[in-house]
Amino acid sequence: MDLNLTEAQSAFRDEVRAFLEANLPEDIRETQRSGAHLSEDQYRRWHKILGDKGWSTPLWPREHGGTGWSPVEYAIFDEECHLMGAPRVLPFSVSMLGPVLINFGNDEQRERFLPGIRSGEDWWSQGFSEPGAGSDLANLKTSAVRDGDHYIVNGQKTWTTLGQYGDWIFCLVRTDPSAAKPQTGISFILIDMKSEGVEVRPIITIDGSHEVNEVWFTDVRVPAENLVGQENMGWTYAKFLLQNERIGIAAVGQSKAQLANLKRLAATEKKNGKPLSEDPTFKLKLAEVEIELRALDLTNKRMLVETERGMDPGPVSSMLKIRGSEVAQRLYELKMDAAGLYALPFQPEAAEEGWNGELAGSTAQARSAPHYLNTRKISIYGGSNEIQRSIVSKMMLGF
Amino acid sequence: MNFDYLEEQKMLVQSLERTLAKDFDFETYRSLLESKTSHDPKLWGTLTELGIMAMPLPEAAGGFDGNHTDVALISAELGRRLVPEPFVSNVVLAAYIIGETMGDAGLAHLEAIAGGTQKFAAGFYEPGDRYNPLSTNTSAQKTPDGWSLNGHKAVVLGGDTADYYIVSADADGPSLFLVPKDTDGVSVRAYQLLDGRGAADIVLTDVKLPTDALMGDQAKSEDIIIAAVDRGAAALVSDSIGAIEEIIAMTKEYLRTRTQFGRPIGSFQVLAHRMVDVMVEYEQAKSIAMEASVEATNPDATVRMRVISAAKAKVGNVCRSIGQESVQMHGGIGMTDEYALGAYVKRLLVNETLFGDAEHHLERYANL
Repeated sequence: MDLNLTEAQSAFRDEVRAFLEANLPEDIRETQRSGAHLSEDQYRRWHKILGDKGWSTPLWPREHGGTGWSPVEYAIFDEECHLMGAPRVLPFSVSMLGPVLINFGNDEQRERFLPGIRSGEDWWSQGFSEPGAGSDLANLKTSAVRDGDHYIVNGQKTWTTLGQYGDWIFCLVRTDPSAAKPQTGISFILIDMKSEGVEVRPIITIDGSHEVNEVWFTDVRVPAENLVGQENMGWTYAKFLLQNERIGIAAVGQSKAQLANLKRLAATEKKNGKPLSEDPTFKLKLAEVEIELRALDLTNKRMLVETERGMDPGPVSSMLKIRGSEVAQRLYELKMDAAGLYALPFQPEAAEEGWNGELAGSTAQARSAPHYLNTRKISIYGGSNEIQRSIVSKMMLGF
Repeated sequence: MNFDYLEEQKMLVQSLERTLAKDFDFETYRSLLESKTSHDPKLWGTLTELGIMAMPLPEAAGGFDGNHTDVALISAELGRRLVPEPFVSNVVLAAYIIGETMGDAGLAHLEAIAGGTQKFAAGFYEPGDRYNPLSTNTSAQKTPDGWSLNGHKAVVLGGDTADYYIVSADADGPSLFLVPKDTDGVSVRAYQLLDGRGAADIVLTDVKLPTDALMGDQAKSEDIIIAAVDRGAAALVSDSIGAIEEIIAMTKEYLRTRTQFGRPIGSFQVLAHRMVDVMVEYEQAKSIAMEASVEATNPDATVRMRVISAAKAKVGNVCRSIGQESVQMHGGIGMTDEYALGAYVKRLLVNETLFGDAEHHLERYANL
């Protein structure tokens, strides 16, 4: 047994590091490190920089622009990005839609859409959840009715992350309302968000930010050529896609970056006249989460190595999502606690990129409670932790 | 043993409940927040008329000579309805300190509090000294005609609306000073807290005060500050109980009415059991909050501090876990600003943190 990176893996890490040092724009790094919200321009610029390097879609097959990295190499890349303050590339186009088009789309669709995904020129949103279809996704009601060479789409999607910037949205829609099982009447369709009848309405979350949206469809005409795969087979594609969503779900890189943030804050805060970082109670709490993260990092890498050998990642990715979200949430919680009284003033404007007005307390303190509140979502989205536990129990316990 | 409230206390709660149900629903709360203020003079007037401000104040100042269980009942109702008005800073902290330190000279101020005509806010905490109410980085120097104060008071509850500040400053030990807001050198940076209640950072720069701005006997100031903070902590513990009761009602209703997979989500055992755990935690929190309301005014400081710290630590931890669990059980809807749950979760976060968080009080309890 040897838990160190191999020589080749170390060399790869150095290559990633050197690339990030040379190419990560300072403003993006600063926004990410300070915990502010990235602007639309920052997301797009970083995606394009990775695209130009050929690194925006590393897990795709080589012939479509993948890098051929192994899962462990991808994990190294992801971790280095976070530690250097690079933003993550949003998963919707790269990790979700891309693999669906590659596996189930046709050549025209691949030619039309894959280049825009690689470069980041097309911003894709995800249209799955609905007000009545959360954990029970198959209960979705948005309808698509065939009308000549178009579908007419009506309904409402919700929790659409950063949909306010979206150029396109991939949606699950009901094409056969009379199907025997709800799962069998669903199709997967691509909708231009500039189409007439598409309306994006903001949802403000409890941290005061505008990150998610409702997307409403009223008699939206969608060319039939935008149907992916076969009609009424959308559920199969969605299940395939959600498995991909969980790659990197342990969020080890992100949590390591947060741990570093927490330590920075604890070094500047004081308790009993000494830095908080020297306080025995704080040190114990920090050690506890740091050990959990260490174990998570190892579990994640152990699973990745197994995946490289062809093990089914299904239930394991659910386990990683459960514990990964718990560790991440604990880190944000400790950061809010470390911020003390100055976590309390509500100053949501402090989270906007480029904002440099006057604050009560430091920037890190002002952002700590909004971060804590915002990240309560991570045990809810992408299949809540309760749903993840059901997946594990079904697959590993048989009930 | 008797855990009951008196008949007249129950009547007070009922009239407060009725008034708030009529005048302060969640939409009113949201519009108050949108107008970026913690204070609505009309609501304040209504609460004053109900006798909320006068309740624990002495009869000599137009009060009803109530005790801290009255404060607890009122606080719980204010928490239940998310009322951001500065009740605790005035009626609990300022009134106590004025009563303890100013004697007859303070009666006019107490009358003003009871009548809701003037507002006070007490500031003890300072940047960089966490939850230490005896922080002494603010200095008070003797001058030929009085005092000169310099320093910075952090996150002063009610500081956004106060006409007077009561601040602690070091004059050979912590001492208390009454500072009119308009005094030269007083700079107020007002803001709202996560849940909409108001506060401010107060920066004092060469603030010149007359000799009689010093409140009471300096030798007693330390004890008075700690006792005032303990009363404030007890009030916030009760405020949390009211908020938690509302959270539990909302979450139960959601589990009963939200269907997924063709059945109410509360029928899934994993959610039902978690809800039961929340209810067990609530009962524990409620019991210890009751003890805190009885002992908040105990003249034996050690007994008082032990009970207050027990309650602030226990209820603080319960606030955190119930806040998290209720959002999780609601799912996405619990994350949205226009649904009331988030506002309650933020109310709990503020209550947990002000006057010392759970860790602070656990440590104080352990070291008593």
